[in-house]
Amino acid sequence: MDKRFFSMFNLTEEQAITVLDTPQDQISEDDSRYIAASHLINYPTAAAIDALIRAVQNTSPELDNRIVRRKSIETLGRLQATKALPVIRGCLADDDCYTVENAVWSIGEIGTTDQEILAEITQLLQKPQQSYRVIIHTLVKLDYRPAATEIQKFTTSEDGPIASAAIAAVGRFNQDYSQIERVLSFLQHPQVLARRLCIQDLIDAKYYSAIPHIAYCPVSIVFRLRGVRMLADAGLADGQLSFANVQPSLEQVLRDHPQDLKLVHSYGQLPTLETLIQDLYDVDFGRCYLAIRLILEHYATAAPAALFATYEAEGRSDYGAHFHIVKLFGWLQHAPAYDLIVEALNNTQPQFQKSRAAAAIALGELGDSRAIPLLQASLKEKLWDLKYAALMALAKLGDNSAKIAPDEPDWLVQSKAASIKNN
Amino acid sequence: MKSVLTTVIASADAAGRFPSSSDLESVQGSIQRAAARLEAAEKLAANIDNVAKEAYDACIKKYPYLNNAGEANSTDVFKAKCARDIKHYLRLVQYCLVVGGTGPLDEWGIAGQREVYRALSLPTAPYVEALSFARNRGCAPRDMSAQALTEYNALLDYAINSLS
Repeated sequence: MDKRFFSMFNLTEEQAITVLDTPQDQISEDDSRYIAASHLINYPTAAAIDALIRAVQNTSPELDNRIVRRKSIETLGRLQATKALPVIRGCLADDDCYTVENAVWSIGEIGTTDQEILAEITQLLQKPQQSYRVIIHTLVKLDYRPAATEIQKFTTSEDGPIASAAIAAVGRFNQDYSQIERVLSFLQHPQVLARRLCIQDLIDAKYYSAIPHIAYCPVSIVFRLRGVRMLADAGLADGQLSFANVQPSLEQVLRDHPQDLKLVHSYGQLPTLETLIQDLYDVDFGRCYLAIRLILEHYATAAPAALFATYEAEGRSDYGAHFHIVKLFGWLQHAPAYDLIVEALNNTQPQFQKSRAAAAIALGELGDSRAIPLLQASLKEKLWDLKYAALMALAKLGDNSAKIAPDEPDWLVQSKAASIKNN
Repeated sequence: MKSVLTTVIASADAAGRFPSSSDLESVQGSIQRAAARLEAAEKLAANIDNVAKEAYDACIKKYPYLNNAGEANSTDVFKAKCARDIKHYLRLVQYCLVVGGTGPLDEWGIAGQREVYRALSLPTAPYVEALSFARNRGCAPRDMSAQALTEYNALLDYAINSLS
């Protein structure tokens, strides 16, 4: 589990419990029970779990309490607090659909084979206005095959992402992927959330043939990489995939060039460079990649100055645009951006994490041999994507001497290093 | 884009009927509140950078730990984990005020977003704190009329509720 944001609020366990136990109307302006409920993820202790259970049992209906209750349910799930199962189960009958959603999800995290609980979760599929995707995912995760008939009904849902989850679930239960093309089609959906969510469904379906399709999906690298990675891990464990099966798609994703994506947006006429630079800030990365492609095709000469300007003005503080600016300087092979890219390579702030591997790729493109020792140093970092990207960049720079740690834990990084050595 | 009007027409059409009197009442209610919504939309649009920045600052001030070395706000430049996303949510709130329904938030900000945050273990707390600050900070008549503020706050509550 990615824990980089867990310790954001620097509370002790005791402080967090005290805040969480404080009645909502007595909470000081400087405190937040919601934060406390989130923060207790750091303390898998009996005291923290009991406090979270008390918070779930506080059914006061006002919004400020409702959100604390939901968050407490979620944290209990993350802590896999089996003790909380009865109280979380009680939330399945709640009127608030998000509370129900969190309860279902948490039961999935905690895990259960209790047929009554699983049947109760299945029955939620008959209740209107529920978070059906989460219910379906949880039933698949807990491998509750008697739910297949109920789930089947959602395969024709007008809501695309719900249909996608249902088709994937039925495919997984029945090992019948005849309908999976419909899930794959969502990889090209105009709505970014539909594109992102169907990747989760393909992961859940363990549909390994989806890997190359996911690699072309115009969403953030985070979602593509997560999809390829999770399917690769599952496929390796099942004995159905090897590194050689995964490597081309994995490296296509890590390289992340817009020419390797099937974009879903287009412009009627070529926008100005200023407009395209602004598109780098879009939360739909599909639009960002279109902008990058057009910048490379039409504005390669004027782009560097505009990129430096936007970096200074806003880009350095926007973790989306930051990532794209770093990558663009690489594709443009713009040598004066070397220092900016190196700064990104070494930026340890959690929200800029994806810019680090991007910087490694960009340094490979720049072709400046000063980057070699820096990339070699990156091989000692914890992030697998950074290490893998550094190996790709080092190979691009002609350095095949880099050594990963002898106890490198990541099989993809190990395999990549071995493949370089064997060449 | 879902709004009171499109919902009423879509459900009437699905049943092959004319809108009922209660349907028309809800449309009437939405139209009556339109002026207040548009006032709120206009004020928010004019101040969106300030509102987002204040909300973000409030969140950071409340949790100065984020300024520590290596943490999410550790340089003097705003290295915003959430500033851009707060602005994104405020923009969706503004669209909702214009549309007269929660469609933009539902379709672009909520549907699936909870799933994404959970799957990636991304923290919702900063958004919730920042949007709560924006809700508590709004003041009538200083910022907008009381009716406009009611419309604005209702949508902020909707966003807070659905993100948490």
